[in-house]
Amino acid sequence: MRAKLFTSLAIGVLGLLVGLWLVPPPATRANGDKHEEKGGHAHMPAPLEYADIHVPTSVWTDPAMITRGKEVYASRCAVCHGDQGDGKGPAGVALPLKPPDFRDKDGVAEMRDNYWFWRVSEGGQVEPFKGKGSAMPPWKGELSVDDRWAVMAYQHTFSGHNGPHVPWGHPESIAMGRDIFVMACVPCHGVTGKGDGSVGSMLSPRRAPQPRDFTSAEFKFRSTPSGQLPTTADLFRTLTEGVRSSGGPMTIGLRGHRIMPSFQHMPVAQRLEVLEYVKSLNRGFWQRGVVKTVTVPAPPPLTPERLTRGKQLYGDAECLACHGTRGRGDGPSAPMLKDNRDLSIAATDLTRPARFKNGARPEDVYRTLVTGLAGTPMPSYGDSLEPDQVWDLAYYVLSLSRGGQSAQTGSR
Amino acid sequence: MLKRLTVVVFIAAGLLALLAGLVAVAGPGRAEAVPAFARQYDLQCNACHTRPPRLNRFGEQFHMMGFQIPSAAQPGGIVTNVREDGTVKTLIDSLALRVEGGLFEYSASPRETETKFAPPDEITLFVARPLLPELSIFIEIEGEPNAVAFENGRYFQRGQFGLGKEAFFMLNLGRLLGALGAPTMEMGGQTMVGTHGGFSMHGPMLMAGKVDPNTNFSYATNRQLIAPTELEVAHGKVERLPVVPYAFASKFFGLFKNRDEREPQLATDQVMYNTSGAPGADFHAMLNDVVLGQVGFLRENEGFNTYMAARFDLLDRGEFTFNVSALMNWGFGVVRAPDPEDHNQPGSNRLDRLRYGMAANVRWKQLDVYGAVIWDRLYGLPGELRGSFDRSATGLTIQVDYLVHEKVMLSSRFDQLWAGGLKDEKRDGSVLSLQAKFYPWQNIAFFVRDSVNLRSFVENSPLRNWRNQLFVGIDWGF
Repeated sequence: MRAKLFTSLAIGVLGLLVGLWLVPPPATRANGDKHEEKGGHAHMPAPLEYADIHVPTSVWTDPAMITRGKEVYASRCAVCHGDQGDGKGPAGVALPLKPPDFRDKDGVAEMRDNYWFWRVSEGGQVEPFKGKGSAMPPWKGELSVDDRWAVMAYQHTFSGHNGPHVPWGHPESIAMGRDIFVMACVPCHGVTGKGDGSVGSMLSPRRAPQPRDFTSAEFKFRSTPSGQLPTTADLFRTLTEGVRSSGGPMTIGLRGHRIMPSFQHMPVAQRLEVLEYVKSLNRGFWQRGVVKTVTVPAPPPLTPERLTRGKQLYGDAECLACHGTRGRGDGPSAPMLKDNRDLSIAATDLTRPARFKNGARPEDVYRTLVTGLAGTPMPSYGDSLEPDQVWDLAYYVLSLSRGGQSAQTGSR
Repeated sequence: MLKRLTVVVFIAAGLLALLAGLVAVAGPGRAEAVPAFARQYDLQCNACHTRPPRLNRFGEQFHMMGFQIPSAAQPGGIVTNVREDGTVKTLIDSLALRVEGGLFEYSASPRETETKFAPPDEITLFVARPLLPELSIFIEIEGEPNAVAFENGRYFQRGQFGLGKEAFFMLNLGRLLGALGAPTMEMGGQTMVGTHGGFSMHGPMLMAGKVDPNTNFSYATNRQLIAPTELEVAHGKVERLPVVPYAFASKFFGLFKNRDEREPQLATDQVMYNTSGAPGADFHAMLNDVVLGQVGFLRENEGFNTYMAARFDLLDRGEFTFNVSALMNWGFGVVRAPDPEDHNQPGSNRLDRLRYGMAANVRWKQLDVYGAVIWDRLYGLPGELRGSFDRSATGLTIQVDYLVHEKVMLSSRFDQLWAGGLKDEKRDGSVLSLQAKFYPWQNIAFFVRDSVNLRSFVENSPLRNWRNQLFVGIDWGF
């Protein structure tokens, strides 16, 4: 009797819960963006083409830049944003999407510098601002990068904040990324992002690869020249694809190649949010100036001659010292290889493209050869090989896999 | 509006029918390591396990959020999987098989040994996958060729096949709280309660069906690297009790599970945690990434349990993590006292059980140390038994795992039982187990394990009528 009552009660409660669960939550509670609730100005991550444009920290407090910014603001911005930055300029009053109030300390604190630069550059001509009726003109054609930074520095003064406008000074601007980071990344990369979470040392004990130290200057997977920090797009690619293991015990009979999961199903905006948090752990992203990337030319046709030249380069460039004659990662130097943490590191088995950490498409292999893998013995061939030679070598590397299928189709 | 309500009612009815189906069938079970998830996410086993089946921190997050990559749930759920991968692959990726077995040797004294094969003592088929971003299933179907059954007052070995220890669905109720007015955040297809930079709550997750709430505890006894030994029976009676983590055991001698079948509740039976299949419902939520709260109820024998537990993740710095858990459990009429006139028969009194305890887990580099101490106390004992029955008992279990090499995990566990129950039957127990587990591949382990009875040999005690147990075996997940 007691059990029946208990069962009926349990089923009733569960039915109620399941029914309620099917009712969607109110759509207005979107991701806790306080500023959006106030004025309809969603603070979303800047798109990849703007994500790497971080304002040098000195700009925000440089009197000369602020003075220059004041001049630009008075002539271009005040008519809508108001002389006092309150969004109540004479032309702004009638606009469907009201200009923001730069005196709103909370709202300004939530804006990241690259988002701000994106808005000044593109104005309201991009979504979602265009759809909301923004009338702000794009200034990228009329104002230089320095002028745009200057006007941002002046606008920043309205908020009453005196220091540089950087994420470590405004944690609220990266709060969403931090929440995702804590949930998804901390177990491996650690609370401070130094790659010292509790999982890494068990995953591949006393050998590489270990989780990336985001505070260091060395990132393996880049499209930037050797020794430089990666672009946001590089980080985005790694986050999306995950990382495969090139050595160590595998799971027999299973796919199970990744040591870092793919976050491909995380919405793009949230992936960008978590990357903004990751970058905030390393101030080098704010100090590097203009970002240069390696250009991957269009893949040329694969020909037998190209493979022959690639084989020759494979020997001349000393690839076989680590990867071995047949590419199995068993070259004479392989047992002695160490990474920058003095941990043993396996030379990648080139006959198994599924284990290529930096991707197995021809363009991925090309990029790896040109940039190298920082912190590992894999050097950059960007200065020693011509682009056509890099393609020769990339195709030969891919031909080492069983059947050489990857040279044609590639996979990541 | 009416149409929407009808849809809601039908879906709710479907889910409840699934729950009822899961609840209706019962069977024994054990720990799990699920290669189905490795296939679904193309992820190595060791990404989620220190070594299978024990979960690492990432695996705990993965489990807590309903077997989803945190913040990256497949938006369309299984429908998208079928569309992208096809039905056959989706089905195969949902299944996993686990086989355990080996060679067992008992030693009663240096002159008396007993060696026997334990041909695959457990074969488990898992069906496990997310169905929607906020709904997933986990079902074990288990075959045990050497299972011990109790019938007509006698124990005997009989092969068993059926639902395993766990068979449940897990539902994220974050949206429910949102509908009720709580602020919510969408993170990778899953709903979180709270605001970024402020209070945050992952879940609450509802886990209903045959559930084991133990995974969120600091000592997850349902994912043991040192697997429990089997109960040994001979001539219809218990010959030897298994070696299990005593902290989580029943701990009392002389109790019964039920009246009609008169089945004894053995002192080493796992109760509350790591049971042989307890229908119930569990709610858990992670608050501010620091506190994991959990409440729920489970059936047990003729009664049911209510429980609450909390885990505090206190430290996470430089390859060092530390968490502690506290548990409190009240079992309403979960065991039956013996008849005061005849201790071999169940009496008329059902007893309530208060269980409380704490556990802790420290991880540092390749070292993983975890332990639990749990106290049990019985209420409702007949007055006639008060002089002959000890109604308090305590268990202590401490385990140390050390990854000495990428492929070799050394484990050591100490179990201490301060038993309760009938004073003329009860025995305390102390066991030290040592194990070396070799993983040539991540999903295959060969192991040799030795357990030593640290107390004196007692011929007529099934808890202590042995000196040494040696077990050589294989644990294979595919």
